[in-house]
Amino acid sequence: MPALPNRNRGRAWLAALLLAWLALPVVAADDHDFVIKSIETALEDNVWRLDAKIDYRFSEAALNALRNGVPLLIQLDIQVRQKRWYWNLTLAELTQGYLLLYHALSDTYIVHNLNSGTQEHFRNLDAALASLGHIRNLPLIDAELLAPDREYEVRLRALLDIESLPAPMRPMAYISSDWDLDSGWYTWPLTR
Amino acid sequence: MAAHPLIRRLFTGSAPIVALFVLLLASLWLMSDATHNSAVFGQLYTLLLGVNLLAIVLFVVLIGRSVWTLFRQYRRQVAGSRLTARLVVMFVILSVTPVSAVYFFSLDFIKRGIDSWFDVRVENALNDALELSQAALGLRMNDLLRDTQDMARSLRDVDGEMAALILNDLRSRSEAYELTLFSLKGDILAASSGEAERLLPMRLDSLSQMLVRQGKTDVELVPLHEAGLFIRVAVPLPAGAPENPPRILQALYPVPERINELATSVQSAFGRYREVAYLRVPLKYSFILTLSLVLLLSILMAIWAAFFAARRLVAPISALVEGTRAVAAGDYEKRLPLPGRDELGFLVRSFNEMTHRIAMARNEARASQQRAEAQHAYLETVLANLSSGVITLDAEHRLRTANRAAGHILNLDLDRHAGEPLATLAERHGRLQPLIESLEEALQEPFADWQEEITLFGAGGRQVLMCRITALPDGAGHVIVFDDITALIQAQRDAAWGEVARRLAHEIKNPLTPIQLSAERLRRKYLHKMAPGDADVLDRATHTIVQQVETLKGMVKAFSDYARMPALKLEEVDLNALIREVRELYRGGDMRTRIRLHLDDAAPPVEADVGRLRQLLTNLLKNALEAMDYGEGEIRISTRCAEEHACRYLELKVEDTGPGIPEEMLSQLFEPYVTSKPRGSGLGLAIVKKIVEEHGGMLLARNRSGGGACIVIRLPVPGAASLSDDEPTNEKPDDDHAAA
Repeated sequence: MPALPNRNRGRAWLAALLLAWLALPVVAADDHDFVIKSIETALEDNVWRLDAKIDYRFSEAALNALRNGVPLLIQLDIQVRQKRWYWNLTLAELTQGYLLLYHALSDTYIVHNLNSGTQEHFRNLDAALASLGHIRNLPLIDAELLAPDREYEVRLRALLDIESLPAPMRPMAYISSDWDLDSGWYTWPLTR
Repeated sequence: MAAHPLIRRLFTGSAPIVALFVLLLASLWLMSDATHNSAVFGQLYTLLLGVNLLAIVLFVVLIGRSVWTLFRQYRRQVAGSRLTARLVVMFVILSVTPVSAVYFFSLDFIKRGIDSWFDVRVENALNDALELSQAALGLRMNDLLRDTQDMARSLRDVDGEMAALILNDLRSRSEAYELTLFSLKGDILAASSGEAERLLPMRLDSLSQMLVRQGKTDVELVPLHEAGLFIRVAVPLPAGAPENPPRILQALYPVPERINELATSVQSAFGRYREVAYLRVPLKYSFILTLSLVLLLSILMAIWAAFFAARRLVAPISALVEGTRAVAAGDYEKRLPLPGRDELGFLVRSFNEMTHRIAMARNEARASQQRAEAQHAYLETVLANLSSGVITLDAEHRLRTANRAAGHILNLDLDRHAGEPLATLAERHGRLQPLIESLEEALQEPFADWQEEITLFGAGGRQVLMCRITALPDGAGHVIVFDDITALIQAQRDAAWGEVARRLAHEIKNPLTPIQLSAERLRRKYLHKMAPGDADVLDRATHTIVQQVETLKGMVKAFSDYARMPALKLEEVDLNALIREVRELYRGGDMRTRIRLHLDDAAPPVEADVGRLRQLLTNLLKNALEAMDYGEGEIRISTRCAEEHACRYLELKVEDTGPGIPEEMLSQLFEPYVTSKPRGSGLGLAIVKKIVEEHGGMLLARNRSGGGACIVIRLPVPGAASLSDDEPTNEKPDDDHAAA
């Protein structure tokens, strides 16, 4: 007889753990997180292009660091994958890095695209974030490379790169939810 | 599958530990370096942190395992565990105490040190410098706004085609780096740039566009990538001619190089200071974290090293303890591994040498013991197979050993009495008393050798033992050797008396008949011819001859009867009935002697030959009557069943009121031809003795205290022998028996 309550207790624990795990993203996705609002793909000149809207909501701690001259590296991971029943094959992978920093003298925010080397400046943070969050016409993959009878998908993720923070901040950033800014993967089918 | 010795040596001993320590110290150093944000190590910071945390976990696991092992060993009291525990605790205390002290002081230094970097005056100065730069640039921005407004005015009436040319002209005449004309929607209408490679002019940002559309101007400082600071000015270009709609002019002016340099420097210093000031708390934590990691790792390393060192140190000691235990348990073959050339090594080497010597000595002792045992076994076998009983006594006359024959002869399990003194043996087994008394008496004597014949009476009947005592050398005790010579003596006597009887029969009986016949013939022939006086003499003489010859014949018959008694025909006999029967024969009218019977009705039957027993009784009665000369007196015959020394027997006692037995005859009363009476063959009691002995009985004769003789006969009762031999009885045997 004592086996049953034990097993029940075990199940209860499991259930509680599962609930906690399910509740975790809900708790994490409070007022600060990166959220991918939309993805659109279009075929243009035989090249797949990506439009995306990302809502960058920084935590107060991150904004405070930014205003104090700490540059924040936002990393955008984009993958084109072939859908298979067992393991999706990654065909193309692109990582975009944007360095967001504050220029005290001019009181402007600078967005530095690490891939292209271009730099834009904005007179306020909202403008900078709006610009950052609006991706237009990002070339993904040549349509020739995709077989017509297969299924493909594109997925996107935006996150704050903690490793680019100054070393003293990293240990705290790794364990604090304030710095756990990650949209998670957002998947979109790549179809004509 | 044995690993290469070099590899094994690399992974055991102190080499890997030293390597690990060096690696960990290096990683700690790198980490502390990385905390200063040095470019190369900055990237490795997290990795190093992870490595160190992993090392801590590894150490915790290793130490946990060691502690657990030690705890289990401690509880099982494994050799060396206590010493290891003490050493570990000592090492840990020795290492943790100073490290902790250093840690807490360092912590304080870090906090104070980092705080001392920051100075309010420096911060204010930097703020002021920034403000000054902004003010200086602001002045210039105002100038440039005016210039740009002037340019806008001159462009007011210029239409689209001309605009590019005019812009070029205006740019070359002013300090502007780039001039762009936008429509209100933000489309570029015309542009002029100082640098040919710059393909696209700077876009008009939406805020600026909105401001200008409202008729306002917009001036801002623009930090351009790799080009330094610029001043961007956007002004409205109101509608002039009808073909010219309102437009926007944007001008980009470079900041003079020197000012640019200064402003960039101020910006950089300010930014850096702000960042560092912001990072003050994380930096402190980071340093504390690094320091704590160093502390933790140092302590863990110290603990682990303590375990390692303690184990290394204790290993030979616990080996010694194990070895000592083994030696104590009798294992002298144990050899301990040599730990080194130090004092412990010397100790272990000495221990090995010692056990080797002990083992050799032990083997020697064992061999000699085996030899002694073999000899002992040999002697034991010889003794065991000896028909003589052999008993050894120690110096205190306690029973030491006895061979099988001894137990057999004495009908005792002597091994059970080993270590007991002889006196105890006598107490337990009263029938041995005569033997033990004689032995003790003999043992008091200083003579080395003593020999005596001792008679015992027990369940098995009468037993004659021939005992010899020999003293062992060095006063180690005595050896008693005894033989049961009962049968031998009996046989000797039988043979001797048989010979006597045969001679008597032959030498005496043969001439008797002619003598008797001759006497009768003399009488027949001459009696009636003689004168009455002579006839009377002849009559009496011949009568005497015939009578004496008859007597002699009877005597000879008695002898031959004694010598050749037929084999016993044993049956159960009621002795009481037999006594009554015999007594009837003596109930004559002229009997002056009274015969009284005191018979025990509960007396059990004895196993005996009826004829012999009747003869025995007749002889005894006759003997008593003759002793009293058939005169006044009383003969008392009694029986009783007695148990003495656990030996059950039937006792027959014949007492008379005669003169008793002369003292000098007591010892040989039962020998043939021993008599105190004028008449009698001297065989009566000899025959009695013989019959008693044939029945395994015992015979005693003594004088009564009130006068007269007493003869006691004890006959064993069948089945009595099976009674336990060991039960002690308090009944004392009859004391003053004279002979047996």
